[in-house]
Amino acid sequence: MMDMLSPGEVTASGRLLIIDDDAINRAILDNIFSPYYETEEAEDGREGLDKILARPDAYCAVLLDVIMPEMNGLEVLERLHSRSFPERTPVFLITAEASDETMRRAYDMGVMDVISKPVVPYIVLKRVQSVIELYQARKRLSSTVASQQTELLEQAQKIIRLNQGMIEALSTAIEFRSEESGDHVRRIHDITWHLLTYTPLGDGLDAETVRQIALASIMHDVGKIAIPDAILNKPGKLTAEEYEIMKTHTTQGALLLERIPQLRETGLYSYAADIARHHHERWDGRGYPDGLRGDEITIWAQVVSLADVYDALISKRVYKAAFTRETALEMIRDGACGVFSPRLLEHFFAAEDKLFTLYRH
Amino acid sequence: MDESKKRDLLAAGIDVDGALARLMGNETLFLRLLQKFLADKNYAKLVNALETGDAEAALAASHTLKGVCGNLSMTALFDLLTRQVAALRAGQWQEAVDMLAQIAPAYERVSGAIRGL
Repeated sequence: MMDMLSPGEVTASGRLLIIDDDAINRAILDNIFSPYYETEEAEDGREGLDKILARPDAYCAVLLDVIMPEMNGLEVLERLHSRSFPERTPVFLITAEASDETMRRAYDMGVMDVISKPVVPYIVLKRVQSVIELYQARKRLSSTVASQQTELLEQAQKIIRLNQGMIEALSTAIEFRSEESGDHVRRIHDITWHLLTYTPLGDGLDAETVRQIALASIMHDVGKIAIPDAILNKPGKLTAEEYEIMKTHTTQGALLLERIPQLRETGLYSYAADIARHHHERWDGRGYPDGLRGDEITIWAQVVSLADVYDALISKRVYKAAFTRETALEMIRDGACGVFSPRLLEHFFAAEDKLFTLYRH
Repeated sequence: MDESKKRDLLAAGIDVDGALARLMGNETLFLRLLQKFLADKNYAKLVNALETGDAEAALAASHTLKGVCGNLSMTALFDLLTRQVAALRAGQWQEAVDMLAQIAPAYERVSGAIRGL
């Protein structure tokens, strides 16, 4: 292994604090370390502690004498220990003689090494240098790991945003085909998210689940891709036969989603497939395709169903002009556009003021 | 440093080569620190503490002086002070006081040699 610590090869890297009440001792340590480090001296424990507390990150190591006036080395160490200083910066006890008890206390308080006086220059230099090197390597490593973690997180978020973007793009493309505004899917997403986040309708669903349901709501009409243009964009009323075909966008949607293996691996899938298939079910059991009744329909399918109706009513569509907000709310209340659970309607009307702000630009 | 001065220091109980090694061969620093030793108040403090019976002050002064002597390789004085510190720590006050009879001449020899440089 390369000897990275041999004197003469090391360039000055960091500031070393020498705390010793004796000028001769300080001069000796200074003479040893000043070729490799910037050195700073303190003449007693109090002064040394003050210097460290003033600039806790300024030093690469602290050399601490034990017996000193004002505040002895162990007292200084105690203060440093209470601030976890020795975890970040190595502290060396340099002492003429230390009892076992003193050494044990010093090590307990995080001292890195106890070096005896009179010092042997080569040895004290090596011991201090290698520990400084170790601390600096550890610091570099932990900051590298931290930045790598941040990078990974950013990448994961980028992938999530990309997924969401692709889902939106696909859904918008389908909506465009039926000549609806691309804002439709965005608003369904926002209304669903809002109702499940801010009203009791979302009770029992955590934030991540609500996020997934809102994302899944965007795909409620993907099945329309299988509906011929002539039916999808017919300006007038659909014939009974055409209507039967139109209704299949629910089952076609669920089928399509089922065929995307990557989607099936995510938590998103079960919500997306359920919403696509069941967003035209009705509370009274007279919806399609499965004729589910009451709470047989999941709360998210119910919410998306209402969001879809609300958005359709107050937006302009190929087959109709936009209704006023008042008319739209009246129609929902009267069951003109399907039958919804009373509880769902109650919370929807309570939140509608807020939801309507989505339509003001 | 010429040989005769070095001999004088050796005769006074200073291991010149050892001290220079500790100072990484820095002779200028060595001479400067020897002058500093003359100015060091710890010997006076030690004598005073032993006379007035202040055990705590005696231990502090003896201990610090021992450290300095060790660093400057004042071997004879260092050994005496090491024994005195041990005695003071063990609470053997009289023994520590009696040791001044050996420490004082050792200190004078070292100081004299330095003054003669």
